[in-house]
Amino acid sequence: MNPLSADHTNSAAIVSARGLRRDFGEGEAAVRALDDVSVDLPKGRFTAIMGPSGSGKSTLMHVLAGLDRPTAGTITIDGTELGPLNDAELTRLRRDKLGFVFQFFNLLPVLTAEENILLPLKLAGREADQERKSTLIDAVGLGDRLSHRPAELSGGQQQRVAIARALLSEPAVVFADEPTGNLDTTSSGEVLALLRRAVDEFGQTVAMVTHDPQAAASADRVLVLVDGRIVSDEPARDADQVQSLMRPSAIS
Amino acid sequence: MSAVALRNLAARKLRTLLTSLAIVLGVMMVAGTYILTDTIDSSFERIFTQSNQGVDAVVKTKQAVETDDGTVPPFDASVLHRVERSPGVAVAAGVIADPQVSIIDSDGEPIGGMGAPSFGFSTGPERFDPLTYVEGGPPQADAEIVIDKATADAEGFELGDAIEVAGKAEASEYELAGIATLGEVDSFGGATLALLTLPEAQRITGKRGQFDQITIAADEQTTPEQLTASLSDSLPKTVQAETGEEDVQSQREDIGVFLGFLQTALLVFAGVALFVAAFLIFNTFSITVAQRTREFAMLRTLGAGRRQIIAAVVLEALVIGLLASVLGLAAGIGFSPAVGALFGGVGIDLPTSGTIIELRTVIVSLVIGTAIAVLSALLPALRATRVPPVQGLREGAVLETPRERGRRNVAGVVLSALGLAAMLLGLFGVLSPGELWLGIGAIAVFIGVALLSPRLVTPMASVIGRPLERLRGIPGRIARENAIRNPGRTAVTAAALMIGLALVSFVAIFASGLRSSIEGAIDKTIVGDLFIANSDGFSDIPVGVTDAVAEIDGVATVSPTRYTQNEVEGTEGGGYLTLVDPETAPDVLTLDWEQGSQEVLGELGASEAVIDEKWGTDNGFSVGDEFTARTVSGEELELTVSGTFTDTTDYIGDYAASDANAAAYGEERNATSVLVNLAAGSDAAAVRSEIEAAVGERFPTIETQDQQQLKDSIGEQLNTLLGVVYALLFLAVIVSLFGIVNTLALSIHERTRELGLLRAVGTSRSQVRRIVRYEAVITALIGAVLGLALGVVFAVVVSRPLADEGFVLSIPVPTLIALLALAVLAGVLAAIGPARRASRLDVLQALSYE
Repeated sequence: MNPLSADHTNSAAIVSARGLRRDFGEGEAAVRALDDVSVDLPKGRFTAIMGPSGSGKSTLMHVLAGLDRPTAGTITIDGTELGPLNDAELTRLRRDKLGFVFQFFNLLPVLTAEENILLPLKLAGREADQERKSTLIDAVGLGDRLSHRPAELSGGQQQRVAIARALLSEPAVVFADEPTGNLDTTSSGEVLALLRRAVDEFGQTVAMVTHDPQAAASADRVLVLVDGRIVSDEPARDADQVQSLMRPSAIS
Repeated sequence: MSAVALRNLAARKLRTLLTSLAIVLGVMMVAGTYILTDTIDSSFERIFTQSNQGVDAVVKTKQAVETDDGTVPPFDASVLHRVERSPGVAVAAGVIADPQVSIIDSDGEPIGGMGAPSFGFSTGPERFDPLTYVEGGPPQADAEIVIDKATADAEGFELGDAIEVAGKAEASEYELAGIATLGEVDSFGGATLALLTLPEAQRITGKRGQFDQITIAADEQTTPEQLTASLSDSLPKTVQAETGEEDVQSQREDIGVFLGFLQTALLVFAGVALFVAAFLIFNTFSITVAQRTREFAMLRTLGAGRRQIIAAVVLEALVIGLLASVLGLAAGIGFSPAVGALFGGVGIDLPTSGTIIELRTVIVSLVIGTAIAVLSALLPALRATRVPPVQGLREGAVLETPRERGRRNVAGVVLSALGLAAMLLGLFGVLSPGELWLGIGAIAVFIGVALLSPRLVTPMASVIGRPLERLRGIPGRIARENAIRNPGRTAVTAAALMIGLALVSFVAIFASGLRSSIEGAIDKTIVGDLFIANSDGFSDIPVGVTDAVAEIDGVATVSPTRYTQNEVEGTEGGGYLTLVDPETAPDVLTLDWEQGSQEVLGELGASEAVIDEKWGTDNGFSVGDEFTARTVSGEELELTVSGTFTDTTDYIGDYAASDANAAAYGEERNATSVLVNLAAGSDAAAVRSEIEAAVGERFPTIETQDQQQLKDSIGEQLNTLLGVVYALLFLAVIVSLFGIVNTLALSIHERTRELGLLRAVGTSRSQVRRIVRYEAVITALIGAVLGLALGVVFAVVVSRPLADEGFVLSIPVPTLIALLALAVLAGVLAAIGPARRASRLDVLQALSYE
């Protein structure tokens, strides 16, 4: 068995979900977006969550990240169970333990790149660790553009700023929702490389939702969701292998 | 296209509501003003008609001089015989109708509010008696009295009670013989009514051997017109005859002058609220139209013409305007008594029975509200549709080019400058009417500054926002940035508040200047130790007070002054003057002499006058010149100027003359104030209480004050007036608060995704609320700072012409600071709803919001 792959009882799991169900709507129109999903995200690993449109991959990420509440099931992040937390506690958890990178609109347009990176810490009223800050800024390669506003940055640069923001507070886990969905190949490569480095060099845990096999291939592990269930959980090797996991034959 | 417009309204109910509310408030004030003044007018008409029941003609002194209250002096009782001998007269009765006969309450104070007359009437033949006796009947003896039911109820007077009444003679007690109403009318709006026998009424009003009017019924063969015509032929030239009908109308006209003033004043406040509402609508439509640029572009690519789009936007405004106007009209019905109550609260009682809604009220309200909505929406609509469709489809289409911005700034500067110029020209009488040009100028300045304000927003927000950022960290920072990311929007929102605050601070500064000028003038001019006047602050007191005070121990000098009206040949204006007693005046009054001295005042002859230097300059009178004064009784006096002085507060009026002419001026029984100097070594407080006790018992309408008390009571009156003005301006400020709410709500709507992101990365709900609240506070403070600055400018400008008369501008810093604090509070209040909404956004929905 691949040491990186699914040992559901792995004690090193930083995020652990059991029996997740998420229903939208009621009665006839009800849709089950997640259907009894249990998953662990091991510490220091890069997990890609894939699946066709409507497979529930985004819902899974939202639920895991505490942005949405499951209809049933439990989630534990870094030892904290999300279920009993109220909105304020969930907000604090997001601020202190989670990092987010979205597809669009990652940055506040009124703040400079640097201010965007520091935003969660500032919100918490904490000072940044200067060493980590400069390491990160080096890593995202934006040294001279830090005082620019998002509108003055390219899409790739914006995503790298978003990643730096997600990493700055050393979160338990970084959730990335289609971070390359809006980028050209070169920029995508840079963004993925940065996420990869975060895992390899900083020991960060990353979960990334994507529909791009190329992107998923840079992860350590690929989860495939179809109709709200995990249908495949394999180590990621390359784009072709990931592509094959997505084929209907592989799924069924 | 009209379907699109209406759908838009339905889809954005909250915004539609907020936008409408602004117009509702403005129209409410317009409608309320008309309803209130129409109602008062009709109430007075009913009172006058009721009192003239059965009267075919009245004879009164011919009005020789236009006075503020329209009252005329009494005439000699012998006229009655000539009337009785005239053909066509069936019954004629001499009548006393005096507006200054006070009923005294159990505390020894005269009953009645500020401005409401306290009528004293004499009884006459039953056919002329307009009263309905609820209890008892008319006075049968000189010791009996009838009073109105409202007063009896309010004071708990019952038949047989002893009622004290004060007029120009000493106060007397009467036995209450009846309680009456005037037909259906049970309220005279704070006025009191005392009915006495004719001899007693003549005695108490100091009109022995005189009548205020003669009331006449024609015989059966004579019409009122014929009667009046024949009377006019046979009567002396000093009196005139009018039909009963004409008399009601002329009384109504006298009230009409006051009502017209009230109406104009209230409409000005309504105009301010509507002006602010126009800003709000303009801003709302600018934002929503900008938000819908893509939608419009899409519609245009589908083949909609530019006109169709404009028509759709205008239709939206039309519906809002019309709807809001209807609501405003309805609200005006409720607002009218509220304003009546506001005036009543400060002692100005006006009769309001029923609610009179004229067609004119309905039309004006609907037209004004709708027109303002449509006009305010037109510019944004034109602007939005100028964007070529293809450009509009792209995200972030810019609606204003740098060139337009440049033109806007130039227009702002030009308008502000022209506005200030118009104000000054109006003030200095170059353009007339001055008030109108002052108003037009002020509006131009407001619009000019509003055009310039987008430029001012960024630096101001930086300055105002910096401490917030320092103290409140990142929410403060984001709020500040949000405030300046769309300077035009913040600017117009702030400008709406600016208008209200500019006017409030202008009034505050001006009043403060007025107050300190008056106090300064009192210090300089009224050098007497004690000041005796009517306790209502302005009515006459009996001149008999003078002799009564002179008898008190410790009083050295007593000097009566009489402030009255006349007409000076070749001049315009109110024609105010003061009659003084030359022998004593120099001891209690010190004039600020230009030419002449206190000695001139002391030796003022019966045909001499000392004049206000400014009045003299305006009319070409200087020392040695003669002028002709026509008095209320129709006499003409030739007066020679023997000195000039500066009259800072118009305490004296146009000129001062000797009270040797008091009778000619129709003032022999009256004094406006009596000034007292104490003998050396006597205790002011002791003498004051002695006067209050001994003289006050005989003349209960007086109040004795030392200089400080006089200043305080003038300050109080000024504050009361200010209170009313603030209350009316407050509505404009409320309208501008809706503006802040609306702008915030629209901005939050635009920034939904940002807010979702903020929440996702760990911004707490209270932090989101803070971001919104701080933006509101910054916007409000920008408006407040601009408003206060303009208020100071206006105060400086408006006080310029008064500077010659010694008006000293003083800036009430604590008041201005309080206004800033209020603006912050206003911002916080305005932010409550939008902040709540922003913090309640569902994070996931917000993130995926397009």
